[in-house]
Amino acid sequence: MPKITIQTTVNGRSVSKDVDPSLRLLDFLREELYLTGAKEGCGAGECGTCSVFVDGVLMKSCLMPAGKAQGTTIETVEGLAERNRLTVLQQAFHKTGASQCGYCIPGMVMAATSCLRGNPHASLDEIKEHLGGNICRCTGYSKIFEAVELARDVLNGSVPATALQEDAFKDSFLGANVRRLDAPSKVTGALKYAGDMTMPGMLHLQVLRSPHAHARIVSLDTSEAERMPGVEAVVTSADVPGVDGYGVFIHDQPVLARGKVRFVGDAVAAIAAETVAQARDALEKIKVVYEELPAVFDAEEAMKPGAPLVHEGNTDNICQHIPIRKGNIEDGFAKADVILEETFRTQRVEHAYLEPEAGLAYVEPDGTVTIHSPSQNITHHRHMLAHILAMPINKVRMIMSPVGGGFGGKEDMIYQGILALAAIKSRRPVRYVFTREESILVSAKRHPFVMRLRMGLTKDGRITATHMHSISDGGAYALSTPGVMRKHCILGAGPYEIDNVRIDAYGIYTNNTPSGAFRTFGAMQSLFATESMMDMAAEKLGLDPFEIRRINAMRDGAVTHTQQKLGSVSMLQVLDTLEKGSRWQPGVPNGRGATRDDLGGPGTRAPCTLGVRLRDTSDVAAE
Amino acid sequence: MLRCDDYYLPATLDEAFDLIERFPGEHRIIAGGTDLLPWAREGRAGDVHIPVLIDISRVAEMRGQKAQDGRIRLGANTTFAEFLKDPFLKRHLPVMAHAAIWFADDQLRAAATLAGNLVNGSPAGDGIPPMVAMEGSVVLESRKDGKRHTRTVPVADFIQGPGKTLLEPGELMTAIECDDMEGWGSAFEKVGHRRSLVISTCCVAALVKVDWATRRFADVRLAIGAVGPVPCRAKELEQSLIGQPVTAETIRSLSDRTAGFVRSRSRQEYRRKVLASFVERALGDALDELGIAPVSQPVHGEERLHA
Repeated sequence: MPKITIQTTVNGRSVSKDVDPSLRLLDFLREELYLTGAKEGCGAGECGTCSVFVDGVLMKSCLMPAGKAQGTTIETVEGLAERNRLTVLQQAFHKTGASQCGYCIPGMVMAATSCLRGNPHASLDEIKEHLGGNICRCTGYSKIFEAVELARDVLNGSVPATALQEDAFKDSFLGANVRRLDAPSKVTGALKYAGDMTMPGMLHLQVLRSPHAHARIVSLDTSEAERMPGVEAVVTSADVPGVDGYGVFIHDQPVLARGKVRFVGDAVAAIAAETVAQARDALEKIKVVYEELPAVFDAEEAMKPGAPLVHEGNTDNICQHIPIRKGNIEDGFAKADVILEETFRTQRVEHAYLEPEAGLAYVEPDGTVTIHSPSQNITHHRHMLAHILAMPINKVRMIMSPVGGGFGGKEDMIYQGILALAAIKSRRPVRYVFTREESILVSAKRHPFVMRLRMGLTKDGRITATHMHSISDGGAYALSTPGVMRKHCILGAGPYEIDNVRIDAYGIYTNNTPSGAFRTFGAMQSLFATESMMDMAAEKLGLDPFEIRRINAMRDGAVTHTQQKLGSVSMLQVLDTLEKGSRWQPGVPNGRGATRDDLGGPGTRAPCTLGVRLRDTSDVAAE
Repeated sequence: MLRCDDYYLPATLDEAFDLIERFPGEHRIIAGGTDLLPWAREGRAGDVHIPVLIDISRVAEMRGQKAQDGRIRLGANTTFAEFLKDPFLKRHLPVMAHAAIWFADDQLRAAATLAGNLVNGSPAGDGIPPMVAMEGSVVLESRKDGKRHTRTVPVADFIQGPGKTLLEPGELMTAIECDDMEGWGSAFEKVGHRRSLVISTCCVAALVKVDWATRRFADVRLAIGAVGPVPCRAKELEQSLIGQPVTAETIRSLSDRTAGFVRSRSRQEYRRKVLASFVERALGDALDELGIAPVSQPVHGEERLHA
């Protein structure tokens, strides 16, 4: 392989290395120098997890060929804290709780450092502008901005350095600003996520994925791929020794496609090779003959007789139907003065955690298969993998690596099985790191729903009956669909006392990307419908939206429509707090004309602006 | 992923041409790299093998900026970050600072060059409308049989269509020239899915000069991007303002004449609405930069769209 010599100074140390000219600066730092503080969140310059200083200027190292670093001076997040003493900014991040999953944090710390180096008195607007190229998916940015402002003030002496110390607390942690134990390892870039780990002799895994939404695999020929340079193992479903199938509730997903692919991105075969590039080259030599099958992309279409069937043995594409019945809705609607009916739709959503899926698997001398991955459910994964590998559970070890954002999206064992097979077959440690594109293509999404909701109310705002009929696109495999349907129903009627409730949720198989767990687990969708309808009912009945909710709110001792008795219910307190906090202008939603008085005001976050630095024209005038 | 077998950093133009001649048909020129690397990924070009990358970002002759004969000459290695920081550029090309602040983010601006933006020829290239508005032209140089050839092409002609330019194989864009806009008021409006790091759905560059004695528009430059195959100048709108009084009504009268510029096939209705507002707002902001507010009569019952 051709090499170029890169000479640079990295964190004060001279470095000279002969490297593959294809490397980006990010690869050079991570793979050649083991400086894994800079992360790869997207590889396309969008997310800022890879930010480093090049000759004092902050750059995205994923968009910089390593060749460009020739003769430059580079500073990474590892170089900020001298002799393990955190910088003021790092201490401020620690203090305010700015690091949550931590994956964006090295980049954030670098961007904030760049901002304050450029202007030690940067205003909040300017801080926001300078951090504009760095994405965080956990914090909502508030704590990060708080940290940068705190650091700025401490550095300027307007706030004493003691402000960086942990707040004092007495008997209880409740209400106290307690610092996270793992924050120092995150703000310094020291923490190793799965994609940061390396082992001697480690191979790199790449996966061949289906270009078709629904197709039969007529033949799969890996012979040429096996002969490609650097290839140590090619795995297919034929390598699965045990019972092939996983899923949070139903084990309907094979580790690698078994005779059929069910969505674009379904894993077909995998290759472990000495380098990622060799693995990718070898993937191209795998010959797959597909016979395309009719596919179905809409949940309601999939329920119709004659629709293409996604899974053999399932005759109606229904993955899970949850029916909930309380009272008698016909009686309830008969008592209603008004009946509202509406169809609500929600869309598929990607979690977009900053850390793409990654894992490292190896076989220990005693035969134990060990997998490091940011799994949100290691115990269940361990059980499933033991069945798949036909091994006793004590020979399967799952180690949860730091999770660089999960939000439910890392509950599914979508790659750990492939890694295990590759490690067993190659007898070498194997690492697999998804690209951002692969993560979006393959990982589960929030369930899209179509919800037909009918609600009956008396004139004074009391709900007499609610009937929700929900159909959700669960995609090609079950993943968390059964549980999501359940939660959708359990919470779907809202925190309201309703005598007559009927809810049906159908999770449906289609040839779309599988849907899975995502914050609120199906409840957000049904509550979007219910709460939207509460506002519509308020309009219809001439009631204040808070008032109509108070009329129906569950109180202490309420029994839910799934027969759960609730000891204490804080609904009324929540409503009071919200009403007060938002400075709510009472009244009917549609009775206030074009303007309202409760928008903006103190405590409201101002919209983002751009160009605050352009408004400062002092340097132009001075010239 | 992008793969190459060799990476060169020529220090002079001659060294760059030496490399171009040495690797005909197997090289690619790279400047900031912020378009090239994202292009070589899944969903776009996928895995790409380019035998030789010639990085021109250190070519001495392509650096620096100067004023001459009412025109400004920008070396092709001028980055977007320089438009925000360099006092000379801020004074002579005020609109470029406004465009630059909307362009990507601090970190990409430090690498990305205006020349690269023009060579890339995207319909949504944020550097293009300002250059079209400022009568920009590009200097293209090549070397044949040891002799340098230079031609200058207006930006408006250089960009032929999405990703299509008049750049010939072996040719380098070495400089960009445009009118000196010192003393003009300027503005750049842009909307995309978010504020930072976003591709324009619609953008407008505006520059105005005012006759202070009569409070009339002395000169106007308007260019529109991201709503058609190539960014374009709105000369007929400019003409209809020149000599007119600086009033809110004059400016607003343009709003119903902007729809024809929208030729994109997607989100047409949205783009038409935004563009009408943007033209109005950009002119207002450009005037504001000069410290003149258009005489305004409040309009009732009209809903205005703000990005």
